[in-house]
Amino acid sequence: MNDNPNYTEAFDELQSIVSEIEQGEISVDELSEKVKRAAFLIKICKQKLTSTEEDVDRILRELDSTTNENDAQQNGS
Amino acid sequence: MRQTSKILTMPEIVNDKTVFSLLEVTKSIQKTLADRYKSAYWVKAEMNKLNYYSHSGHCYPELVEKANGKVIAQIKSILWKDDFINVNNNFLNVLKEPLKDGIKILFHAKISFDPAYGLSLRIMDIDPGYTLGDLEKEKQETIRRLKSEGIFDRNKTLQIPTLPKRIAIISVETSKGYADFLKVLETNSWSYKFFHFLFPSLLQGDRATVSIKNQLKRIKKVREHFDVVAIIRGGGGDIGLSCYNNYELAREIALFPIPVITGIGHVTNETVVEMISFSNAITPTKIAEYLLQKFHNFSVPVQKAEAKIRDKSNRLLSDEKTKFGSEIKLFRSVTENILISNRNQIKENINSLVQQTRFRFKNEKDYLRAGRDEIKKGTFKFGTSEKQKITQFGLIMKKDVLFQINQAKSAMNNIEKNIDNMNPESVLKRGYSITMSNGKAIKNVEDIKEGNALETIVFEGRIFSLVKSSKKQKNNER
Repeated sequence: MNDNPNYTEAFDELQSIVSEIEQGEISVDELSEKVKRAAFLIKICKQKLTSTEEDVDRILRELDSTTNENDAQQNGS
Repeated sequence: MRQTSKILTMPEIVNDKTVFSLLEVTKSIQKTLADRYKSAYWVKAEMNKLNYYSHSGHCYPELVEKANGKVIAQIKSILWKDDFINVNNNFLNVLKEPLKDGIKILFHAKISFDPAYGLSLRIMDIDPGYTLGDLEKEKQETIRRLKSEGIFDRNKTLQIPTLPKRIAIISVETSKGYADFLKVLETNSWSYKFFHFLFPSLLQGDRATVSIKNQLKRIKKVREHFDVVAIIRGGGGDIGLSCYNNYELAREIALFPIPVITGIGHVTNETVVEMISFSNAITPTKIAEYLLQKFHNFSVPVQKAEAKIRDKSNRLLSDEKTKFGSEIKLFRSVTENILISNRNQIKENINSLVQQTRFRFKNEKDYLRAGRDEIKKGTFKFGTSEKQKITQFGLIMKKDVLFQINQAKSAMNNIEKNIDNMNPESVLKRGYSITMSNGKAIKNVEDIKEGNALETIVFEGRIFSLVKSSKKQKNNER
């Protein structure tokens, strides 16, 4: 199981748990584990909605750097 | 200047030459031109530069005609302050653009020559409709070129991240649109958090084209840090937006590697940039709402999922509980039924056992009774016959016994006679005696020793003696 999913992964996994539960594919034995995982995923999704990790200083440094656009494209791709 | 034309001068003769002063020549030219070009004319040309002087309020437009990129005609022109104000207002009304550099114009002008300032066209009016058509032509040309290059929809086909949270903003820091945008983003009541970074740029007028392009270049350099570019122009009415029909700018945006969202905020004709952008919002506020909506699209299903999971889990548990409860009930009733039926069975079995036992007992009793009677009868019969047999035996025995007794009696009588003959007394009478030692008849002479006392029985008496000697007689001595 992925313990550090990005939001798309977290969201997709959450949806699949919901549909499993909805279609009654989950037994009472598994339920507790699944609900625990879902709570974890929901927490991650909510965190993604309410936080951001970008660093202004880094962007400024990169903007000032002499790297020209072509280099940046090569590095980026 | 007009007053100078009223001064009439004459040429002077110098060294037989008729010499004109410069003023006389230019005046002549002025007069000739004035006579030749009496009325005003409609002229079309490209206005290279407007050359507006804010201090005087007059303009001195540079007019050219080009063929294949080369200037084939050019002339200075004058647009007086009052005429400029009128024309500019017409332009603003009709084109939503002020009078500006680099547009084609159709103008009403008089040819004017001034001795001091030379030849120029004095523009009295400019037809905004002509320029409008020209601008529209430019816009259509931009659209046609982008389409023919196959990039008109390029930016729209990009994938916007599920949560477009990092926004490169092209705007003016002090503009109302920028403030509105940030306010909606940052005070959203769901605590959604965005990261934004301002790339300041002019947003209207001719210079906006280059300014926006430069900022797009800068954003490209750090594009890994951003999910989306927002071009935000707010306030300032809907003037000076034809720059957004510029081919170079539109191309740059169409080919931009991340989605570009526009909030240019005007209501009339949509510009090319707005058409080709990933998404176009009418106002900066709408862009912010668009981005918030993206967050909602993610958040609402998450919340729904949360509710669904809670709901379904509870239902699942309660269903199981109900199922379990009814199983228990069923189990109880089934076991009760089994117990009852077993109990009944046992009761029946008891009854049947009792009945059968009774029946069997009765049978056995009857059988025994019959047996007993039989035995009794048999015994009686047997007894009777045995009794008869015994009686017969008795009789036979009696007879036999009597017979035997009689026989024995007669034998006895014979024996008695013999015995009588054998009687020791008779023997004694006949002279025999019996010698005894210690009360016993002597049968072996070796038992007698010298000195032993002997008793000798004789007829009608006894002799007592002592042994003098004894001697064993040899067999052949007899």
